[in-house]
Amino acid sequence: MTDFSDAISVATSGMKAQASRLRHVSENIANTDTPGYRRKAITFEEMVNLGRTTGEVAVGEVRLDRSELSRIYDPAHPMADAAGYYQGSNVNLLIEIADAREAQRSYEANLKMFDQVRQMSTALMDLLRR
Amino acid sequence: MYNSLDLFQTAGAMARHAGARQAVVARNIANADTPDFQAQSIAAFKDVYAGSATTTMRATRAGHLGGQIGQHTTDLRQTVVGEPSPNGNTVSIEDEMLRAVEVSREHNRALTIYRHAMTVLRTSLGRS
Repeated sequence: MTDFSDAISVATSGMKAQASRLRHVSENIANTDTPGYRRKAITFEEMVNLGRTTGEVAVGEVRLDRSELSRIYDPAHPMADAAGYYQGSNVNLLIEIADAREAQRSYEANLKMFDQVRQMSTALMDLLRR
Repeated sequence: MYNSLDLFQTAGAMARHAGARQAVVARNIANADTPDFQAQSIAAFKDVYAGSATTTMRATRAGHLGGQIGQHTTDLRQTVVGEPSPNGNTVSIEDEMLRAVEVSREHNRALTIYRHAMTVLRTSLGRS
């Protein structure tokens, strides 16, 4: 049974990680038009417990994308400088959508694993019930 | 009592093996986006069984009874050789799905054999 509970907790950690990735993607998309907003990127790493890797996945620290902010020409904008430009965000919607899709696929794969482990342990329990 | 019968022992080892494999597959899929993660796998039961039947069975049971979590699975785990993606990850979701289906069928087969053998025993005892 330890293998099953291991597998279930690993699949759960995977779903959690993908969900928090999706949350950051939606934050980025929501702030596409926020002046001066830097895109947030999260990293995944293996969880280490008592010196050995447990196989669970953990979300590392959130990093800000250091790439150049876009310069938008709009002299009427309150934040525009003398030349009529202001700094927009460095969010690229195409990248965010692709990232969201990838997160969704990985989430589904983890969910499938979770479901399969559950089915396997249910079958085992059915054997006991007879 | 059931464990003294070879059939039950083999079916039990097969189910345990499927469980261990499933844990490894779940681990790979959870880490499908972790940079530098190396995918791992456990060989199919028939290959492990054919390799050395007695030692494998004993090892599987020792890990089970001794309560040392994952001891026998670490011994059987191998790193999968695969094309790494740009972030150094070698997990292929498609391959893992294939393995997951294989594992599920292996587990089902083991449980079916176990249940069937139990039915035979029950019938011989006059219960059904």
